[in-house]
Amino acid sequence: MITELRKELDEAKVSSEELFEEAVKKAKQEQDKYNSFVTIIDKYKIKRRADSILKGIPYALKDNISTSNILTTASSNILKDYVPVYDATVYRKLKNAGAVLVGKTTLDELAMGGTGTTAATGVVRNPWDSNRLIGGSSAGSAAAVALGIVPFAIGSDTGDSIRKPASFGGVVGFKPTYGRISRYGLFAFASSLDHVGVFTRSVEDAAIVTDVIKGPDGYDMTALKDDGKSYKNELNKPLTHKKLCYIKEICDVNEYKDSEVIKTLTEFHKLIDECKSKGFEVDGVSIDKKLLEAIYPTYMIISCAEATSNNANLTGIQFGPRGEGNSIDEIMFSARTKGFSELIKRRFVLGSYILQKENQEKLFLNACRVRRLIVDRVNEIFKDYDGIILPASGKGAPSFDKSSEQVSDQQVILENHMAIGNFGGFPSITIPFTFVNEMPVGVNITGRVMEDDIVLHIAKEIEDITGLKGMKAGDRHV
Amino acid sequence: MIEKDKLKEYAKKLMFDMNEEEYETLQKEFDVILRQMDIIDKIPNLHEVEPMTFPFLLKDRSLRDDEVGDYLTVGEVLANTKHQVNDQVKVPKVVEE
Repeated sequence: MITELRKELDEAKVSSEELFEEAVKKAKQEQDKYNSFVTIIDKYKIKRRADSILKGIPYALKDNISTSNILTTASSNILKDYVPVYDATVYRKLKNAGAVLVGKTTLDELAMGGTGTTAATGVVRNPWDSNRLIGGSSAGSAAAVALGIVPFAIGSDTGDSIRKPASFGGVVGFKPTYGRISRYGLFAFASSLDHVGVFTRSVEDAAIVTDVIKGPDGYDMTALKDDGKSYKNELNKPLTHKKLCYIKEICDVNEYKDSEVIKTLTEFHKLIDECKSKGFEVDGVSIDKKLLEAIYPTYMIISCAEATSNNANLTGIQFGPRGEGNSIDEIMFSARTKGFSELIKRRFVLGSYILQKENQEKLFLNACRVRRLIVDRVNEIFKDYDGIILPASGKGAPSFDKSSEQVSDQQVILENHMAIGNFGGFPSITIPFTFVNEMPVGVNITGRVMEDDIVLHIAKEIEDITGLKGMKAGDRHV
Repeated sequence: MIEKDKLKEYAKKLMFDMNEEEYETLQKEFDVILRQMDIIDKIPNLHEVEPMTFPFLLKDRSLRDDEVGDYLTVGEVLANTKHQVNDQVKVPKVVEE
């Protein structure tokens, strides 16, 4: 973990170069089996004059974050040879803080997927069991942290792309308030839902990294003003916000037939009881089932529509492999036909359908209306509660052959509720809380907009209850 | 079921094509997706709600000062294309002879 490495570096028990070499060696050793990386960096590079808690610490960046002079593909063939000429703000901040980049991590193509199976360079495997997926889209970042290659990695989250793989990988995944971390240089998927966030192996580490990369940015008008807080220091103060709730319609064990889901929910209710015994007040609250059922379609409509528009810049003309043809239209057509995989094309066609004039009112605008209803209801809940606590997934990571199996409507809600955090821009964190069938499962805590420190603080106290801090794949806490 | 020709039309508007098998998969997928989307229609009085296009209202927004900042050089702009002429990206002739 970062705090331990910091101590070892400060006491000169290890050098930053040694940490880098070790991380690169491990990244290469594990690459064939897990495929965490698109690019592994060979050359040690550090800002010597940096002075931060992250100085000398190795880390990984998702490959949809712009890094000048380093290949950045978004795991898509349409960008397979793209070398950016500018740095994303999050990368610039980490460079200036003296953190050392080890590699660019594999993602679902263009971040549009939740399985980690659609990268142009192949599937990412779960470090806890290589026959299972790790989830996505920030699959490689989750795997690199779960494997212990790096103590932290940066990801992006549009529906649950940090928080779901964190659950499947037994690590911490934190997506702060929308705009808390600049998105300049993040390849846009769905701009009104996109967030940058972090993977770590402890809540404290998530606070440490967020402290370094948050803040306003002249290049991103949606980046928030600095709240002036050190999230790490806030963790050491007494927590006064201890009123939590869970959504009854999602957490009722009797509604499910799958034995692993039942086990997860049983463990979840045990955790709630433990939280109560540690001074938390936890109630069950209701959200209209119709709204909960609408989360997934609302997410699909908004994200596909925005993605269709955002990815119009991928033409193969200024960058990316050039298509063939005798006119600009023909070469664009050819580049896009060859460059996008089938799955991405299917999502884009859906986006195109949604944005047709005759469908805009019924589909796109109605989805935007439902988004408001959901966010309004959640904000109403936040008048009485400091956070909503829910299982981050119904069970451990699925195996590759079962990932496309149909699940019940009830389970669709359980597996997709974290998009609420994107609809409303709420700070939201997943931490490991139990094992089901020897696979880790996370619990998710979502709080009020701007209260990132409180969400982290609540998560820290729950981490103390679960005792699942600092895990790497292979550690068993059954 | 949505017509395959319609799907082809939508794909072509986005400037790509798929093969017949892929269109058939998409056609079946559309059926499922459209059923999912019907869930939204079941929510009452939606027309009274203002569509939400951003997570929350950003207050105190001000534009940054209009100062010259970092900018890309011509070499940087052209760094990712082999097709260039006279410091510009080269494309096929637009105006036909």
